[in-house]
Amino acid sequence: MKIITWFGTLTLDSDGKVVEWDLFPKDTDVLAERLIQPKEADMNIPPTGFDIRAAAIECGFVASNDEYDKLLRDVSIRAAKQQISSGTPDMGIIQAVEALDDIDETANTLSERLAEWYGMYFPEVGLSSEPLVRFVAKYGSRSNIPTDDRLYEKATSSMGAELTGLDEELVKGFAENICTLYDSRSRIEEYLVKSMETTAPNLVNIAGALIGARLVSMAGGLEKLARFPSSTIQVIGANRALFKHLRARAPSPKHGIIFNNPIIKNAPWWQRGKIARALAAKISLAVRMDVYSGELNESIKTELDAKIESIKAANPKPPKRENKNKNKGGKVKGKGQKQNTGGRR
Amino acid sequence: MAAKEVSAGIFEITERGGKQLATINLVPSASVYGEKLIEIEGCEYRIWNPKRSKLAAMVIKKFNVPIKRDSKVLYLGAASGTTVSHVSDIVSDGIVYAVEFSQRTMRDLIGLCDVRSNIVPILADANRPQSYAHIVEEVDVIFQDVAQPNQSEIAAVNAKQFLKRDGHLLLSIKARSIDTVANPKKVFKEEVRKLENDFDVKFEVADSQELMPFHEDHLGVMARVRHV
Repeated sequence: MKIITWFGTLTLDSDGKVVEWDLFPKDTDVLAERLIQPKEADMNIPPTGFDIRAAAIECGFVASNDEYDKLLRDVSIRAAKQQISSGTPDMGIIQAVEALDDIDETANTLSERLAEWYGMYFPEVGLSSEPLVRFVAKYGSRSNIPTDDRLYEKATSSMGAELTGLDEELVKGFAENICTLYDSRSRIEEYLVKSMETTAPNLVNIAGALIGARLVSMAGGLEKLARFPSSTIQVIGANRALFKHLRARAPSPKHGIIFNNPIIKNAPWWQRGKIARALAAKISLAVRMDVYSGELNESIKTELDAKIESIKAANPKPPKRENKNKNKGGKVKGKGQKQNTGGRR
Repeated sequence: MAAKEVSAGIFEITERGGKQLATINLVPSASVYGEKLIEIEGCEYRIWNPKRSKLAAMVIKKFNVPIKRDSKVLYLGAASGTTVSHVSDIVSDGIVYAVEFSQRTMRDLIGLCDVRSNIVPILADANRPQSYAHIVEEVDVIFQDVAQPNQSEIAAVNAKQFLKRDGHLLLSIKARSIDTVANPKKVFKEEVRKLENDFDVKFEVADSQELMPFHEDHLGVMARVRHV
């Protein structure tokens, strides 16, 4: 029997004794290469109970136990380093999506702080988040607002304190910093759109670039996403609702992050579940096409559109509310609306 | 301050009335993940937090840990190497084969291997022992902390290929990764039954205890292979 080990191929007799050997060159790089790709024709793995270490010494590959340990360790480290350095484009997409979320969170906190801060000096400004940040970064104190700005009137009659000197410098600088965050955010979005169009054209065509990127990020890679069943894709991002459903009697979620796609978002509530199912099915087809062929195929989109049209035609009106709980006071809540329908759960 | 050896290479340090686990630092003055270093009588110890390590929790739960100074250990689910570093301290004359599947955590693990001479990093799936059978020799102990739904099967296939006849398996079973909704007690019972009956290799469970309060819904198991 021929077996493969990290230091060479060995031939064993029926008693498991090494009778012949073909050793690899004793070079860390070569050995690391072999360690990663051990597959050679008609090779077996060592049988149970076979002592690899003793065989290495017996064949004269290494002189001692210590040398065995040292060499194997060096080779393994080299091999592991090689294996982790191979980054793929979808890994870049994942990092970008995560960075986007981090920026959103941070920019939100900071812009809220700025709103509080700037409110001392110009409480009537009536802006918030990005518009406010851009405004403060541009003008600073309200005395700098030009006469043709639509906030000029409010600025001159404001009850806020004067913003001057060091305070103005500080507040304005703070706003400028947040501006760079917003700029960075839009650059990342541009990158995502571009990168998704080259790595996953079909997914972009069906789900849109940003939702597609988010799906890839949540699945942990394009290939992993391609292996998900469409029922999983339908509810990715609705984890809490899903586990609530599995644990207790909560209704199952109809859609996860694919809800953000306008074709679901803009649909009336009684069609959303059906459309989500159709969309998820086509998304999973699209991703598989991206991973395994890489070519854009318009027919998925055409089929999806046709399916959605037929859903819309078959369900033009909201379903009638079942009235099982007649005369059971307290059970029927709300006015003429069925419980637990519509909306993202 | 005093250090008492509770198991080979594992010490209990009494300091101001409180007791803490520790191992002797193989690489003096280097802290791996921010743990505290304490010097007692010229010997540097690394404090070992049972909340961060299933193995440390098992030591506190009075498991008879079979790892010796010269043991060969196959460590499945090495992650970024928090516990691996302590095992590496314990087996100062032995070797640790550290198997990890995630590239991201392997990055941290390699950093650890670079400074410690007795860890062999292996980037592989513990489900497929044949993918690293050309590297790993027979070992005295398999320690497994993989949080996979089929973890008892993983233990069995690895024990079959790598565990010495009189070797030990140390296993941490995470109920929540087997069934998120079932009662953990039932999950544990079923997993122990599987270990004892279901696979090519049949185990004899020597000790099993829940790792509360250090790890919720985790069962520590020590087992040996049952030979017929």
